[in-house]
Amino acid sequence: MSEVQECHLEKIDDYRWRIPKSYKGGMRVPGIIYADEKLLKDIRQDKAVEQVANVAFLPGIVNASLAMPDIHWGYGFCIGGVAATDIENGGVISPAGVGYDINCGVRMLKTSLFYNEIKDKIKDLTYALFNDVPSGVGSKGDIRVGVKEEKEILVKGAAWAVAKGYGTQDDLECTEEFGAMQGADPQAVSERAYERGKAQSGTLGSGNHFLEIQVIDQLYDSELCDTFGLNLGQVTIMIHSGSRGLGYQVCDDYVRSMVHCLQKYNISVPDRQLGCAPVNSPEGKEYLAAMKCAANYAWANRQCLMHLTRGVFERVLNKSWQKMGMELIYDVAHNIAKIEKYNIDGKEKSLCVHRKGATRAFGPGNPALPARYKKTGQPVIIPGDMGRNSYLLVGTKKAEEETFGSTCHGAGRLKSRTAASRSINVGVLLKDLESKGIMVKASGRDTLVEEAPQVYKDVNEVVNVVHNAGISKRVCRMRPLGVIKG
Amino acid sequence: MSRSMVRLHHGPLNFCKAKICSQSHQVQNYEVFEHTADIGLRIKGKDLKELFQNAGLAVFQVSSRRQYVKNKAHTDIIIKQKAENLDELFINWLNELLSISAAKGIIFHNIKIRSLQDKALEALATGSSVENYRVNTEIKAATYHQLKIEQINGAWVAEVILDV
Repeated sequence: MSEVQECHLEKIDDYRWRIPKSYKGGMRVPGIIYADEKLLKDIRQDKAVEQVANVAFLPGIVNASLAMPDIHWGYGFCIGGVAATDIENGGVISPAGVGYDINCGVRMLKTSLFYNEIKDKIKDLTYALFNDVPSGVGSKGDIRVGVKEEKEILVKGAAWAVAKGYGTQDDLECTEEFGAMQGADPQAVSERAYERGKAQSGTLGSGNHFLEIQVIDQLYDSELCDTFGLNLGQVTIMIHSGSRGLGYQVCDDYVRSMVHCLQKYNISVPDRQLGCAPVNSPEGKEYLAAMKCAANYAWANRQCLMHLTRGVFERVLNKSWQKMGMELIYDVAHNIAKIEKYNIDGKEKSLCVHRKGATRAFGPGNPALPARYKKTGQPVIIPGDMGRNSYLLVGTKKAEEETFGSTCHGAGRLKSRTAASRSINVGVLLKDLESKGIMVKASGRDTLVEEAPQVYKDVNEVVNVVHNAGISKRVCRMRPLGVIKG
Repeated sequence: MSRSMVRLHHGPLNFCKAKICSQSHQVQNYEVFEHTADIGLRIKGKDLKELFQNAGLAVFQVSSRRQYVKNKAHTDIIIKQKAENLDELFINWLNELLSISAAKGIIFHNIKIRSLQDKALEALATGSSVENYRVNTEIKAATYHQLKIEQINGAWVAEVILDV
């Protein structure tokens, strides 16, 4: 018997595999995994497939429990999971479908600089970014606010930062949800969460979070590249961070309460970490209001990080950021729950779409997009590992039809941290990266080893799947030049 | 992850010995097991009190190493937790430690469980400034995913996955 049969996966087509409802009693819908045969071999090595099946138990889940090709073992949901629940039909919201780092996400800036013009400055820029952008575990920034202002951040999100002079209105237009979800209620956030997030605005954090100077090394769609103003050799910047300690505490607070909701609402799930409550219940509404606060905090955070980045480029290259064309392409969330409308069996329904390690990928014409992206579809930013590539894609109508407007969020982890520590030598790693023209600065050597390219899947293979499956479309590819790790 | 070690369908987990931190004043008893993205801990204790104590210390020992003496002050914090069952008490206990640690900027190096029943505990946790430590990994929370707490041959064993 092949491994695929052992895992109960049925081939739908070259890029989709089904976990039938019959796999586990209690599954309300099947599971569908987006992957090719090669990636599927990696996916089968851990417990992610089980987790896709477990998510299919959630009350109100619609169509299927979905997983993107960067799927790997998480807690509760797999990482790379998408699940939509029908709110009018008892659909639930689960903090596990969002994760501890609420609105962990990524933004991409373009510049009018070309690699050949600034290749001698990459080292200076990398060192200056490492110096000016706070990073590492528990890092604290220079942006200090009182409790009243912190509550303002939770409601206004990136607009708070712009009002402080840390950006422009154009930045907000180029941010998912325009940088703030409506309906955030600071009263739903605990005092401990405020305390835990204190002084962390404008900080990168640690783990897989990063700030990278990149260069475009491949164009896939010349028309879209022209529209976005992107060319071969052009320098871009990518920032990956989230809601820091505030988001972790919001998730922790609500996992505590949602575990009790399982009994209260007579919900049966195979993993208590999938604790959840109907979206329309008091507990569901309160979590959503708190989650939005953390999401808005994260958008403010990435806006502040971009402001610091622009400042570094101005100082090192002695030009204003406007003259260097440092414009935001887009900012996407990849750990979030959203209320979105979809046509299900001929009826428009309000769904609660969980994206746990998955990126929104709305196609052309979607009303949620700003005017400038109405024709192109939503920019989708997919970071890879520090040694290979990252991508700019756009969302598609097919994604809206098949995956609740969702696609992958990155390369996806392949090896554990302990396996990385055993097999990777930091000196060899740094030399290898240097030989590829990649300068790395990190707060800790352990982070470097745990985040080495070989612990990740090849993002090129992951993106091939989402492109070929039609749930997003390649625009261009970047490679790293300078990397800041927490 | 070593492909042969972790299999689908709840295959056996393999364990590797964790590094034991030299700064600890207490005998530790935990191992790290592999998880693709996060950290799995298997903790032992001769009784429940020791299990909770060892688990509390393990989450800090696995993520930080004492390296400096920048701040000599020690902080004692009394922690009280209530829950509806033992599993919940265990998760709440670990998350309370992590939460206080992050909010106050301290790493706990000594724990005394003063009282422990199935649904409540009181403990004294002692820590010092995070400035004295090299923190390798940020642990966001302890999760219920595949949580196990069981008595084996008279001793207590817990398995827990930490989100990092």
